[in-house]
Amino acid sequence: MTTLVDFSRKPTNEPVKGEFLLQSLPLLEIKNLSISSFGTKKKEDIKLVKNINLSIKPGEMLGLVGESGSGKSLTACALLGLLPKSLKVTEGQIKFHGRELINLSEKDMRRLRGNEIAYIFQNYQGSFTPFIKIGKQLIEALRSHQKISKQDAKKKALLWLERVKLPANQVFSSYPHQLSGGQLQRAALAAALMFQPLLIVADEPTTALDVLTSETILDLLVDLQKEYNCAVLLISHNLNHVLKRTDSIAVMYGGQIVEKGLTNEIRKNPFHPYTKLLLQARPVLSRVVPEKLVVIPGEPGLVAKEGCAFAHRCPKSFIKCSILPKMKSVGDSHWIACHAKDSEADDTNASSKKCF
Amino acid sequence: MLQVKNVSKSYRLTPVLNEITFQMQQGESLGLIGESGSGKSTMAKLIVGLEHADGGQITLNDVDFQELRGAELRKARRHVQVVFQDPLASLNPKLPVWKSIIEPLENYPDVVPSFLKEVRNDRKKMAGILLEKVGLDRNLLERYPHQLSGGQRQRVGIARGISLQPNLLICDEPTSSLDVSIQAQILNLLKELKKEFNMSYLFISHDMASVQYMCDRIAVFKQGVLVDLFLSKDLFSDTRHPYTKTLVEVTVES
Amino acid sequence: MRFFYAFFKKTYLTVMKMKNWSPAALLGLILLITIVMITAIGPFFLPNNPYMVNMAERLSSPSLTYPFGTDHMGRCIFSRIVIGSQATLGITVLVITTVILIGIPIGLVSGYIGGRLDSIVMRMADGLIALPEFILAIAIAGFLGPSLTNLMISVVLVKWISYTRVVRGIVLSEREKEYVLAARVGGCPTWKIITRHLLPQIISPVLVLATLDVGKVILIISSLSFLGLGAQPPAPEWGAMLSDGRPYFQTIPELMIYPGMAIIIVVLSCNLIGESLRDKLDSKSI
Repeated sequence: MTTLVDFSRKPTNEPVKGEFLLQSLPLLEIKNLSISSFGTKKKEDIKLVKNINLSIKPGEMLGLVGESGSGKSLTACALLGLLPKSLKVTEGQIKFHGRELINLSEKDMRRLRGNEIAYIFQNYQGSFTPFIKIGKQLIEALRSHQKISKQDAKKKALLWLERVKLPANQVFSSYPHQLSGGQLQRAALAAALMFQPLLIVADEPTTALDVLTSETILDLLVDLQKEYNCAVLLISHNLNHVLKRTDSIAVMYGGQIVEKGLTNEIRKNPFHPYTKLLLQARPVLSRVVPEKLVVIPGEPGLVAKEGCAFAHRCPKSFIKCSILPKMKSVGDSHWIACHAKDSEADDTNASSKKCF
Repeated sequence: MLQVKNVSKSYRLTPVLNEITFQMQQGESLGLIGESGSGKSTMAKLIVGLEHADGGQITLNDVDFQELRGAELRKARRHVQVVFQDPLASLNPKLPVWKSIIEPLENYPDVVPSFLKEVRNDRKKMAGILLEKVGLDRNLLERYPHQLSGGQRQRVGIARGISLQPNLLICDEPTSSLDVSIQAQILNLLKELKKEFNMSYLFISHDMASVQYMCDRIAVFKQGVLVDLFLSKDLFSDTRHPYTKTLVEVTVES
Repeated sequence: MRFFYAFFKKTYLTVMKMKNWSPAALLGLILLITIVMITAIGPFFLPNNPYMVNMAERLSSPSLTYPFGTDHMGRCIFSRIVIGSQATLGITVLVITTVILIGIPIGLVSGYIGGRLDSIVMRMADGLIALPEFILAIAIAGFLGPSLTNLMISVVLVKWISYTRVVRGIVLSEREKEYVLAARVGGCPTWKIITRHLLPQIISPVLVLATLDVGKVILIISSLSFLGLGAQPPAPEWGAMLSDGRPYFQTIPELMIYPGMAIIIVVLSCNLIGESLRDKLDSKSI
């Protein structure tokens, strides 16, 4: 009999998280990735994602934060090989587990998707075919990726439905429309996790759900992620969710990553003006309610064509911002792309020099 | 000003609202918070008279909306206006924004809001003033909704909402379809306008933090029942309903 | 001079705008424009009198005097087709306009207000849809007696319900949308919601439906005329001409091929345009 749950991937003695992150090699490495849309005449139209670098270590939960049009979903689509036809990766590499994903054949990509990289989308209705029972769909998915008998597949599916805290037997024999949104998203989570993937891409998994439901689902995701030590790329526009749960964060604006680093670090010392404003410009539950919220000027569509994408909305922008800032380290595992920081550093250097 | 007394409503035998009772004073803002399906949007529809309650009474300035029909109801509606959740869906895609904004003013020719007194006969000028009130440039007047960004559209929706200078403005999740960086702009704008026109707000949301920011009092709905009603400053009090406490717990940052 | 300049500029601009039309639609458009031009100015340049019977020259093959030959009464087929286009296209346009004028208001009112009117309309629709359009048209035309007016009445009676149904469907989905709610909250009276907010939403789907229907209507008219229920001799109508040529189909198929081709070209061009309009205006509901 095959074992239902493969525990072999679970590390025997789990090191302390931070230490663990520093040690291991990245599971996913995105290098210099650019995505452009192509018009009707096969001419490069708009650069939507501009030279981004990202890496996820095994077992790490990375939050990708940004507004609509920031390119966060496109990045996810690119790494899943699901970009629409009009969009193309023009530059860069996506290395997953030592393998190059760009230019991978559709067949290989399909084998990879689901099996090693699982994905959960915002649209939970779309995760399941409406007229087939959940159980049957899970079994079919299992059998298409693994050699497994029907009984075993059923056992495995039931087990995973239980693991996501659903009434397994009942859900197994239900049609998708008989379940609530939260239940469906849990079932989608089970479908994603039952292959014990190395990486889960969760694109706004709870945006369509209620506050309490999304909390429980994200908590569940975190628990299972820890238990099976898979990496998660959590894409969200909800800063709360990301700050609360991820190990590290990358903030995107207008197709560029403006700041990335460990979550705690960024929460405490955000450096980039955009991150700072994002953290301030949202109502936060507190005993003292501010009279006015800090406002980010402009609209999300306002993206500078050259240089720093945030320049047009940035209160600190100056002439230098028309040149694209490079990613610079500003602390332990904390990088930003902003000129203002340099000049600040220059200033402090200068002033400190004066002192001496 | 607004009195809701024992209001119940059900759709096809499923109860949506159960014996809801609350009051609002002029100039006060009340937050309605709850999950989807808790009946908070239905409450809003009942107050505007878009739907009729099965039982109970809703009176605004001592006028009972439930008993009005047709022209009478239309007349009474000028005191309540709504800012909708999805600004793209709530603006007619085939009309330029200025026409959408002043439509209520066209429908009520005898209403003269104080800030439009001088230009009441000039439709474009009225639309221009309203646009400026919500922080938009006049040159957007001729644009169509699809040519605006999400934040601009919601500002247009707000301009329409305040055009009649209503006593009560119902904001039905006004920021939930907007980007994070726009949310603060819209909330600030709503707060400023409230002060300027001394309107009352019924602020519907599922986000405890924005409700706390916007409102004097908070009403918590759960499955059609009003489980908790309290002053915003008592949000963290120990006497809160357990459901309110869970809502607070998940919203507070660790 | 200035008028011509403006006219050419307009045409030029229209053609330039057609850049993103598909080649098929462009072909349809060119065909249709040609046909309309022929209908409009063709009658002034006829080679022969289309009504003149000339038994000496009956069933003659194409020649310089008779470009398409002559029919069983010795009349010029070419001239008859050109004149016949007026009858066929004219009736079609008239029928479609009437259908739109009847179908849209009923659909709007029955969709938005609902109630008893709506249930009556829907029961009628169910009844009409249960019967094949064409059979019903034959029955009505036969009942009313053969004449052009009765032919039009029968086609209108058969066709209006599909417009009403489309309009009603759109209205039903639109009226729950927030902008209609917003209009109600903003104090719009019912008539204003219907005319100002709902009417513009249905124009493009109805336009698509109408262009796609032109072909069908022409076919029904021609078929009814072919059966003798429409245009009466000697009026030249394409369907009637087909009917006239039927006895000679074995020996001189041209008698039927020419009017048949005319019908095919018009129907085809309208369908090509309609299809591409549908794609462009994104009205998948039809």
